Amino acid sequence: MTSETSSTPPSTPPVEVNPPIQVRLKSEGGRLVLTLPPESEATDANASLALSWGEIWQQFKQQLDAKERFWQPATSVDLVVNDRLLDNRQLQAIGDALTEAQLQLKRVFTSRRQTAVAAATAGYSIEQQSPAPVTPLNQAQTEAGQAMDEPLYLQMTLRSGTEIRHSGTVVVLGDLNPGSSVIAEGDILVWGRLRGVAHAGCKGNARCLIMALQLEPTQIRIADVVARAPETPPAQYHPEVAYVAPQGNIRIARASDFVRQPAPEKTG
Amino acid sequence: MARIIVITSGKGGVGKTTCTANIGMALAKRRRKVAVIDADFGLRNLDLLLGLENRVVYTAVEVLSGQCRLEQALVKDKRFNNLVLLPAAQNRTKDAVTPDQMRQLVNALARVYEYILIDCPAGIEMGFQNAIAAAKEALIVTTPEIAAVRDADRVIGLLEANNVKRIHLIVNRLKPAMVAANDMMSVEDVQEILAVPLIGVVPDDERVIVSTNKGEPLVLSETPSMAGTAFDNIIRRLEGEKVPFQALSVPDDNFFSRLRKMLSKKVI
Repeated sequence: MTSETSSTPPSTPPVEVNPPIQVRLKSEGGRLVLTLPPESEATDANASLALSWGEIWQQFKQQLDAKERFWQPATSVDLVVNDRLLDNRQLQAIGDALTEAQLQLKRVFTSRRQTAVAAATAGYSIEQQSPAPVTPLNQAQTEAGQAMDEPLYLQMTLRSGTEIRHSGTVVVLGDLNPGSSVIAEGDILVWGRLRGVAHAGCKGNARCLIMALQLEPTQIRIADVVARAPETPPAQYHPEVAYVAPQGNIRIARASDFVRQPAPEKTG
Repeated sequence: MARIIVITSGKGGVGKTTCTANIGMALAKRRRKVAVIDADFGLRNLDLLLGLENRVVYTAVEVLSGQCRLEQALVKDKRFNNLVLLPAAQNRTKDAVTPDQMRQLVNALARVYEYILIDCPAGIEMGFQNAIAAAKEALIVTTPEIAAVRDADRVIGLLEANNVKRIHLIVNRLKPAMVAANDMMSVEDVQEILAVPLIGVVPDDERVIVSTNKGEPLVLSETPSMAGTAFDNIIRRLEGEKVPFQALSVPDDNFFSRLRKMLSKKVI
């Protein structure tokens, strides 16, 4: 029951190498760590990649909503802002939003004096250097053979314009609407309809998989292989798995058949 | 020398993107080398109307940040290979690019293509400033409504201030029957206010909606339609031909009035 995607891949398959520019919220040793993307990139050629405060705020709120179930009330939060400048108002906004989600902002890690002053005025404790467990993302990526991050579990509908980047596997409990995208270093599992763009194994791992209850993507990419959905949509959808075949193109198999197949890992 | 034309309106929902798609496609049909640019960052639609959504791999933002070359981001049309689309990023906002960067992109395209059509976002903020930065000419799209005409008037003023002097008017979604009954502004009324030369009148046509949803611009349709012919005439006028304006005073000849007539005959 293996069907090949109908379309030929575009001539230039993408290789995603840029560091994730994303607000991250993850738990570490009983605390939550909220990391804002670094600002330093804004100075070099990647100027247009730097996020504005508005975009950061939007991502932060989305992350907060998507993971609501995963923490106990009154969990303390460390905010890692690295070299990003935050003013009083912005810190206050973050603190308020966390309070609303029954979380407590406790510490702020920053390398900028101004941000430290603002945080001190607001009554948070300051750490002037990055904490050991939270290495800046772009630094971590230059090291070879880096282990992937823990899976990112999101309970949300990804609407048009939302982009999730994660250096690990991404699990979405919800739909990926057209115009949204998930870019993961590992696998992508969608417990819902996948109608946007999914890019698994974005660092080049062709053994990564994309699976969804209903796979009707705009585009799927695994490592550097691209495939489009067939022009005529199937009459019925089944849970499906997309993988890279030994021939080097993306194939789709029904989830129920996929487990019985010889593992595609052999293509290496 | 390439003609760089921005398609703008001020007000949203009057048909800028539909006009861009149809004019671009009609020019491509005439074997002109055409590049259409979606300048609506964050709310891109042009790829949908051209039916190229699932071919988008890179966007203008990636070109500007140096993650890919300009040629890699251009999406070739599946029907005419002399038409290309430069997609906008969906996951960013209008502030992700600057007028200077836009100028840089357009000028690079102008070396290769005869026509550069820029689909402008609604509004007069950053997105508008970006879209008009490199334009030499403008097509103003308006519907015969006071709100749309008012906004168009404002935009014409802004264009003139930005040294875009060659401005033409497209009156979109005209309902001849309503004009005849004096319930809608006529083309003359609109022209009287705006005082820019008219280049086309596109009648309201339900087939536009069908073609939009299919991603097949109306000018490609085998069966001629009033709106499709209007777009063909616009590009002929754009190329300097003298084409008389269609007589749009056939109010009783749409599907519904015919249906109504048929039904009333049978009932009575």
